[in-house]
Amino acid sequence: MAAETPEGIVLELHPAGLPARFYAFILDWIIRLVIMYAIAMIAGILGGVGVAFWLILLFALEWFYPIVFELGRSGATPGKKTFGLKVVMDNGLPVTPAASFARNLLRVADFLPFGYGIAVVSMLLRQDCKRLGDIAAATLVVHEPHAAPRVTLEKIEPIAPVRSLAPRDQAALVALAARAPTLTGERLNELAALAAAVSGDQGRSGNAVTHRVLGVAQWLMGRRS
Amino acid sequence: MTPLHFEELYQGEWQELEGLLDQLLRRKKTTSAPVQGDRVAVLYRRACEHLALARARSYPAYLLDQLERLTADAHQVIYQRREFGLTKVRYFLNVDFPRTVRANAGYVWLSAALLYVPTMVIGWLVYVRPELILSVVDASTAASFEQMYSDSATAIGREAQGDLVMFGFYIRNNISVAFQCFAGGLFVGIGSMFYLIYNGALFGAVAGYLTERGHGPTFYAFVVTHSAFELTAIVLSGAAGLKIGHALVVPGRMSRMQSLVEATRNCAPIVAGSAIMLLVAAAIEAFWSSAAWLPHAVKYAVAAGCWIGVLSYLTFQGRSAN
Repeated sequence: MAAETPEGIVLELHPAGLPARFYAFILDWIIRLVIMYAIAMIAGILGGVGVAFWLILLFALEWFYPIVFELGRSGATPGKKTFGLKVVMDNGLPVTPAASFARNLLRVADFLPFGYGIAVVSMLLRQDCKRLGDIAAATLVVHEPHAAPRVTLEKIEPIAPVRSLAPRDQAALVALAARAPTLTGERLNELAALAAAVSGDQGRSGNAVTHRVLGVAQWLMGRRS
Repeated sequence: MTPLHFEELYQGEWQELEGLLDQLLRRKKTTSAPVQGDRVAVLYRRACEHLALARARSYPAYLLDQLERLTADAHQVIYQRREFGLTKVRYFLNVDFPRTVRANAGYVWLSAALLYVPTMVIGWLVYVRPELILSVVDASTAASFEQMYSDSATAIGREAQGDLVMFGFYIRNNISVAFQCFAGGLFVGIGSMFYLIYNGALFGAVAGYLTERGHGPTFYAFVVTHSAFELTAIVLSGAAGLKIGHALVVPGRMSRMQSLVEATRNCAPIVAGSAIMLLVAAAIEAFWSSAAWLPHAVKYAVAAGCWIGVLSYLTFQGRSAN
């Protein structure tokens, strides 16, 4: 999913799948349950008036809990926030009050026939993983982006490539270098062997070759010895 | 230009923008001077250029990521619409809500007919032949309704102080009905129609049954005040649902999805307004309607005020405002 801004850049939106949203929902449900019990205890002490308050709060909690949090600064209920999710409009902007009202009150339709049946089917069928409320309100539940690891290969000497490289190849090498810390040695050697031509090691593989290939990546990043 | 050179060159601007965004989004506690809006806009546009450049040159992922997050955050800050605050709420209540209701008068009348016609028909039928109540609710429920509104009950509308769960159930049930009437619109309006007719029939059956049993005075004194808000809110929610259903069936020149999104956005004020009305109704039902010590005359007088108030609010409020 992507949304284009008026500045002509494309913002990447990563729709959240069913499991993430399910966990967030369960957490929110537990939080609401705890609040209800807490208020019920206070209401029990206060008696009649307290119970009336409790009933109104129960209603408010049931329907307005998600709306209040979605319109807040983080754009997510505590449950969603814990799992790194966020509600935004289709165009990547913060959710508007009208849309938040619509998507949360349309829960009733999503709930049918029981246990959010329609919502689950809709989320599984759609690429953007929207439930009916999201479709009608033009909202999207997305993963908050988190930072990719920096390329940290300070120990490796930069080496100039032995041949000129197209931008795509340069990008591929730098991406490999960024992934290097997360790969096993064997896999890294395999991948580096594919790119061995850049350091004049075509057809060979091994730790030394990998070292030289990563050195070229260092050089492409702009480091010079 | 190599990625590191690029980063070195513009890192300062990105950090400045990030600092300003942190301040605006209050992610960190800062005590510095207020944020210069134009500076944010300038830095945002620069960051957009840098992102476009970085993408075109296939710079490493961490750089793209950093710029993407930066521009996404700034985009949210710059293009967000301020829809909060008292001015907005006041405008909503004074102009937006009643106007949107009037703009959709056709749906409102249809919704009202779908709710009230079954109420009257079934009410009359059950009044004439009380045994028909059993085809709507089962015997024990009918008995509990009778018990709830009998003159001997200490608090009207609830069975006993101990059985508060049931009372809570009724309040929440009545209120959820309104949202069901709205959400049912997603099923091409049939859901809305069903909930309106079904609940109208249910209200009618209960009212007809209790009237026939001679509990009429207690029952009407109980429901008449909060129903000004509750029934009207149900009608309005139903109208919003019918509008959505209509938009799905007859999308006109738009695609069905566009038409649905458009209709949902247009009727959002109605739904938000009816949610507020339901909160008012719940408060009245809990504190005012259930008070058995109030004389019926007082309750009817207040109820008349509420009905006239609600209807004239929806009819006249916000007509002259620009």
